[in-house]
Amino acid sequence: MINSILRFGLIFILLLLLQVLLFNNIQFSGYVNPYVYIMFILLLPIEIPSWLLLLLSFATGLIVDFFSGSPGMHTSATVLTGFVRPYVLRIVAPRDGYESGSDPSMMIYGFRWFFAYTLFIVLVHHTTLFYLEVFRLADFFRTMLRVLLSTLFSMTFILLIEFYRRGK
Amino acid sequence: MRNLLNFLARYNNLIIFLFLEGIAFYLLSTRNNYHNSRLVNGVRGMTRGIEKRINNTKSYLSLHEINENLAAENIALKNSIAKLVRRESSLFFSVDDSLHKQQYLHSSAEVIENSINRQKNFFTINKGESQGLKVDMAVISANSVAGVIVGCSKNYSVAMSLLNLDFKLSARIKSNGYFGSLSWDGRDYRYAILSEIPQHVLVNVGDTIETTGYSAIFPEGEFVGTVSDYEKFGGDFYKITILLATDFKKLHFVDVIGNMKKTEQLQLEKLFK
Repeated sequence: MINSILRFGLIFILLLLLQVLLFNNIQFSGYVNPYVYIMFILLLPIEIPSWLLLLLSFATGLIVDFFSGSPGMHTSATVLTGFVRPYVLRIVAPRDGYESGSDPSMMIYGFRWFFAYTLFIVLVHHTTLFYLEVFRLADFFRTMLRVLLSTLFSMTFILLIEFYRRGK
Repeated sequence: MRNLLNFLARYNNLIIFLFLEGIAFYLLSTRNNYHNSRLVNGVRGMTRGIEKRINNTKSYLSLHEINENLAAENIALKNSIAKLVRRESSLFFSVDDSLHKQQYLHSSAEVIENSINRQKNFFTINKGESQGLKVDMAVISANSVAGVIVGCSKNYSVAMSLLNLDFKLSARIKSNGYFGSLSWDGRDYRYAILSEIPQHVLVNVGDTIETTGYSAIFPEGEFVGTVSDYEKFGGDFYKITILLATDFKKLHFVDVIGNMKKTEQLQLEKLFK
């Protein structure tokens, strides 16, 4: 128990540092802003109680908001992400279900499963985030392009990190 | 009571979710200038639409009365013209008031926080209310337009950068005086778009673009940039790409310009809008 709290605490801090120090500073033509910190929500244990998942999502968003000076924006997106995660897990569930007490990792459930799972979650998060940032429907398709491009980049980085984790 | 408890137990996730999402939206709509103003304007826009309709109907019903009033007023005016024509020469007199001739106040400041990679960019400068800065003052960098102050604290001010989708500026082509609306399209921080210039106007690459001073924020004739490209856009207008004179990536020392006669101008204009 204490072991896993420590482990997730470490993951949390590492991802936040990566996000705040590295990815928040990436400028790529105004269309691409990768948000890698949601990997924390991705990696929490499958059987985590929903209320805890929601609270952790809320805390994650709040801290990222704090660093990027946009109160509420990331928080809204992460809380929604935390809310839909159990449903996404149900949609992408492997045929013989999940092993009890396992983490949603590429090592256990394979690349294809992890890819689908990440894609759903990242799409939900980025769509909410970017439309909240623009906060009007006038540039609907341009915002959609930003969502898709950023999703592509976030996915790439998340998969790379996951591969690295598997390698260890 | 049991039913209530059952209900809570069954939907506890949804309730927690709605509660947390509520907090997030509360933060979003109260702590962010941009989102707050969008919401307030949205609500105001809705009520304004309804009020307008009611007003239209009302004014249609009272047209007869208005017509009578106008006719009566016409006669009164005609009478007064007849009286005035005789004394026309004494109607106008000039006032020369040297005390109120100064219109613009200048103050220098330093940029301490800046961004160019968002769709709504803002920058912060190191002077505020204590130094006499106010909302809606113009910010200029080395004689070219940089932004407008949108919020002041005691010693700091936040300015909306020209690189902001909400930034609109009345600008004109210096050589022939035709004016249009300048805004940023969210793509490249070095370029902005000048629209509403009709196609019969002669435009050349390299033409100087300057402010018009119509908005009462920027003084007349401040440098904005030069024409880098133009194309025919839609039916009658050009879409002119402007190479901005200000390099927002190295914005550092800026001048803040306040218009002392702004309130006077706006109040007067309000009467006719």
